[in-house]
Amino acid sequence: MNSVVVLILGLVVAFIGYRFYAKHIDAKVIKADPKRATPAKMYMDGVEFMPTSKNILFGYQFKSIAGAAPIIGPIIAIQWGWLPALIWILAGTFFIGWVQDYSSSMVAMRNDGASFGGLSHKLISPKARIILLAFIYFYLLLIAGAFGNVVVSTTIALKAAPMAWLLLTIGGILAGQMIYRWRKDIILTTIVCVIIAMAGIWLGSKAPSDSIIGTDLANSRWLWAIAAFVFCYFAAVLPIWRFALPINYVASYIVFLGLFFGIIGIFILHPDFTLPAYTGFSIKIGPIWPIMFVTIACGAISGWHSIVSSSGTARQLENELDARPVGGGVMFVEMMLALFALVIAGTIYASSAEYGAAIAKGPGGIFAAGVSKFLGAIGMPADLGRSYGSVMMIVLAITIMQLVIRFMRVATSELLSDISPVFRNPHVGTFIACILGMVLVLTGWWQYLWVLFGGANQLMASLALLLVTAWLMSEGRPSAWAFWPMIFMFITTIAALLYTSYSLLQKVITGAVKGEALIGNTLMGLVGFFLVIAALILGSEGMKALKRYRTAIKTQAAAAAKA
Amino acid sequence: MSEEKKKKGGFFGAVKEFVYGVAAHDSARFALKSRASMEHLFILITMGDMLGVPILPPYYSLRLLPYVVPQISTWKRRMLKEKDLTDGLA
Repeated sequence: MNSVVVLILGLVVAFIGYRFYAKHIDAKVIKADPKRATPAKMYMDGVEFMPTSKNILFGYQFKSIAGAAPIIGPIIAIQWGWLPALIWILAGTFFIGWVQDYSSSMVAMRNDGASFGGLSHKLISPKARIILLAFIYFYLLLIAGAFGNVVVSTTIALKAAPMAWLLLTIGGILAGQMIYRWRKDIILTTIVCVIIAMAGIWLGSKAPSDSIIGTDLANSRWLWAIAAFVFCYFAAVLPIWRFALPINYVASYIVFLGLFFGIIGIFILHPDFTLPAYTGFSIKIGPIWPIMFVTIACGAISGWHSIVSSSGTARQLENELDARPVGGGVMFVEMMLALFALVIAGTIYASSAEYGAAIAKGPGGIFAAGVSKFLGAIGMPADLGRSYGSVMMIVLAITIMQLVIRFMRVATSELLSDISPVFRNPHVGTFIACILGMVLVLTGWWQYLWVLFGGANQLMASLALLLVTAWLMSEGRPSAWAFWPMIFMFITTIAALLYTSYSLLQKVITGAVKGEALIGNTLMGLVGFFLVIAALILGSEGMKALKRYRTAIKTQAAAAAKA
Repeated sequence: MSEEKKKKGGFFGAVKEFVYGVAAHDSARFALKSRASMEHLFILITMGDMLGVPILPPYYSLRLLPYVVPQISTWKRRMLKEKDLTDGLA
């Protein structure tokens, strides 16, 4: 199949989903009302609750949800063939993905902008809130591990990446200094700092890491894992304007330009898929069901989006009608991003053997090779394109990772400060988060780590859908459109986590792994089992709540019939 | 932003807002959050006068009070609102 056909298919699905399905739910089920005051207007405080234009929120939501996951998922999942991956991306987004993103923002909006902790307390039970928050901590740990692994494997596979990453960091720090300390014009700052970052991409292609620090160090996982977590350490402990935000600001231009011209490149080259449409039910990382459905997470559905939609976007929407373009519309754009990654993985290698050799080194190299090929269509030299692709991959992973480590620092302080005041120290919380993340990165096989992260992510999504279903039932609205996706995701992700955890721990028990892999398998297996237990308790609490709402609906209906 | 202004912005206005949303909206939100946490401290030091218990010398508190009064209602909401771990993420 031709790659342009895939992109056009994506546009058609997005059009039908957004224009008809989402509009129907918005108008007939949720009954979005432009006259109803949103929390942003009712509780405007100029900080969290602030009415904001839907165009700004569209960009904010896109930037917040489009990390490395929609790109890496399809690149790994193409091992089962491009056809199952394509079907899951399209069907997952159409039936589940946008439903979760949109409804998470609507349920928060209709409940005074409450976050998931408060919603689970109100709609399910007090116990549900505690379990959900503990679940979220481990979920974030898996994000740090999986994305850290992406950064490490990319810097090893692409020797141009470290220099580009370094200059991007310098450009970002300078941007913070120019904007907040020297009070320089934002346009001048942007031009200067983006040029520095671009110069880093060029310099990376001319001065690869192995030519500067030697082959051994350039291939050291330890070195790059330490570099990644030191980067996140600074992002977590320094004032946010000094490090994290200005680097993200400069990086967003690089990512945005790369994606824009990359998609143009696909249309110019319009290559055919060279990898097989279907390879088989079971491969090395597991069977197609349930593993593929968690390997492709963000491109089809992702729990991360529900957190952004509820705690972030829902408090800024100025009109209920904006929830469809912001919550739902951005998910369809993310679907296009996943299709872009699928096209890259499926078209740039001549055979499965070539792809197999590339994926063994990690997904970053494949993405960079694809970006290089498609930017080549508009005249960029291949080595510069690879350098560009590598820094895009690192940026997409590390922007989420640094946010996660910063958040884990706060969570550690809140959860453990009663045990000892030492946990109130920001350096202690950050250090714990970095060490836990590093252990996962250095000891775990990255494909299992990715599946575990995907499982936790999808489980978060099913829990979000559970909250939405509970809210819909409590309001007496039709709930099947959220209930059945929730059931599918819940069963699939529990199965995926159990399968992966069992595979990991079986190797530990039988003595098939030793040394670092023994630690990695044990830790990942136990985290997986913990997530399953937490999800089962939450599921049980959720089902009790749904039963309660169903009984209330029946009682009301009987009373109405009597009257 | 009024409807008229939105219409005037048209397509390029929408693109400009989108780029702002991608690149800088987060920074603006964090700047506002930082300012809000400073204001919390500011309100705290004038709390004495609000409660009728002098903490700072009354002369300084009375001079600060006019700056605090307009923010008391939103400050109360922010302080009393239930917060959880996910609030830090978005």
